[in-house]
Amino acid sequence: MQYQLSYLNKVYDVCVRQEKDEFIVTIGQKVFRLKDCAVQGHQVSCRIEDKPCHMYFVQDKDNYYLAVDGEYYVMQQASASKQGFKGAAASEANSIASPMPGLLVRMPVAVGTEVKAGDTLAIVEAMKMQNELRASRDGVVKKVNFKEGDQVDAFQAIVEIEPQRRQDDL
Amino acid sequence: MFKKILIANRGEIAIRVTRACQELGVSAVGVYSTVDKNSYHLRFMDDTYWIGDSAPGESYLNITNIIDAAKASGAQAVHPGYGFLAENASFAKVCEENGLVFIGPDSKALSLVGDKIASRNTVQKVGIPIIPGMQIADADIRGFTEMAAKVGYPVIVKASMGGGGKGMRIVRNEKELEASVQAGQREARSAFGDETVYLEKYIERPRHIEFQVLRDQHGNVVHLFERECSIQRRHQKIIEETPSTALNEELRHKMGESAKKVIEAAGYTNAGTVEFLLDESRKFYFLEVNARVQVEHPITEMVTGIDLVRQQILIAAGEKIKIGQNDIEQRGHAIEARIYAEDPENNFLPCPGKILFLNEPSGPGIRVDSGIYGGWDVPPHYDPILSKLIVWSEDRETAIKRMSRALANYIIIGIKTNLGYLKRVMDTEKFTDGNYHTHFIDENESELCMSKENLPEILALAAMAIAVSERKGTVVTGIDEAQYSTTPWQELGEWEICGH
Repeated sequence: MQYQLSYLNKVYDVCVRQEKDEFIVTIGQKVFRLKDCAVQGHQVSCRIEDKPCHMYFVQDKDNYYLAVDGEYYVMQQASASKQGFKGAAASEANSIASPMPGLLVRMPVAVGTEVKAGDTLAIVEAMKMQNELRASRDGVVKKVNFKEGDQVDAFQAIVEIEPQRRQDDL
Repeated sequence: MFKKILIANRGEIAIRVTRACQELGVSAVGVYSTVDKNSYHLRFMDDTYWIGDSAPGESYLNITNIIDAAKASGAQAVHPGYGFLAENASFAKVCEENGLVFIGPDSKALSLVGDKIASRNTVQKVGIPIIPGMQIADADIRGFTEMAAKVGYPVIVKASMGGGGKGMRIVRNEKELEASVQAGQREARSAFGDETVYLEKYIERPRHIEFQVLRDQHGNVVHLFERECSIQRRHQKIIEETPSTALNEELRHKMGESAKKVIEAAGYTNAGTVEFLLDESRKFYFLEVNARVQVEHPITEMVTGIDLVRQQILIAAGEKIKIGQNDIEQRGHAIEARIYAEDPENNFLPCPGKILFLNEPSGPGIRVDSGIYGGWDVPPHYDPILSKLIVWSEDRETAIKRMSRALANYIIIGIKTNLGYLKRVMDTEKFTDGNYHTHFIDENESELCMSKENLPEILALAAMAIAVSERKGTVVTGIDEAQYSTTPWQELGEWEICGH
């Protein structure tokens, strides 16, 4: 079994094969032997390289969630059939999205506003914390998808920017 | 004693107060906003009332709607919990005018201690040291500029109605002052509905130490020792412990007696907390009185064995405190960790959303005060606090180990939380050696980062779990539908069935 797991925007090729009661997992040069796997609900126990390990595992839609030794990991499968993952929209430099769901409390720009990199485009408030969303480059506001007072989801484009072409841009 | 108390709050504290009510044989009336109609606190109440839309101003801060609910329910008293209207003197006054007992100080004492400027003046008169700074509110920026120059930078701008670090800004030079005052005012208005801010000298590397005090209506007053609350992010406490490693018996006694003096001078009744800053030379300064049950009250309960919320209700009902100062002991060591829906790897940004799976720790000396359940969608409208994990043990060292173990056993899946981060704090020597101050989080940023060292191992575990789940199908995949899906009863709603 071959998986492409993406974690914190990096993709890792992971190969799993089963030999009798052992799982042999290969990641790059590293090989791990996992045995004595026991599954009870969301709790998965095993021995990894003979070290006992207990974790919690949940799959929901495209996300895999793991809790191991007090730490929490969210991964996605980045296989060919599932190109891209949640969060991709936010990384597009020409649109600004909130990293958290919340209330759009201020939007000091409108279509046609010229903005400089670093200018505040919107302020989103969640759980009593205000988060300023700033332009990542110079440009002109091409589109606004929300108005003040609207509820926005994480990674939804709020403001779209037509980037200003600089002379050194290719 | 009251027959019925309305709890004007939500989440874990609403549940905490409900427990105290029901143990006293008092019915608990809960309230909820639109988005909170499936919130956990309602599952504990004897009766519940809808008080408005999801925005705090429409519901949990809506005095008219809360009073209406209290009257409709026939409650004789209102417990405000913490946050929201807990320290709002006009709310206390409206309660009084409507014949409802406000469980807390009376509106006069509340407006005195709630006004941080007036409380500074009162405290100064009885000889308790205060931090140099502004004594009068002044909306004009020139007043701030002059005062800042007088006490010397760095200075701190604070919300007069504030608490929990909201509306607070450290200013290191005059250039930053105006923007910080405005940002503070904006945040204060949004959080407390009052934009008054004030300014004082900023003390570098202080420890935040507070004393719990109880005072009844007959003038009896006791303190229940200190809580050390120096581990803070963005001026908001995340870990508290008692006893503090910074105090010896002499200083503890002196601060405890000072705290009682402050409460008496303010004519304050009920449970109150007197906050002090302790500087590097172990001089203490009065900071403010928190006129409410504190988020971190459980650690005091763990070491003294006294139920503070029950005491609040008894005092409000006019009873005398039956415990003498000499009967109160600090036994063992207690630590609280606040579990927040936030991402420590991304500036502690709030992370509301659906909890797919939940498993709470258990064992000796473990207490979980929680406001969440698996399958619940944590709304973005309110404070990110999800629950509190409290541990008790014989001494500090074993309490820290117990907390670390309990945090590792606390599983919240679906939304990001600070669980892993809190465990890293417990495991770092900078914390275990006990010699820390309020900048602990900032100064140890890199050490408290999540380690990427064992990522290959984690990926191997993930791949194995995915392979197993693909074969087994539903066993470890998705939300446990049987556990979390709604039943026809919930869909229909008991109100409709009963024909209300």
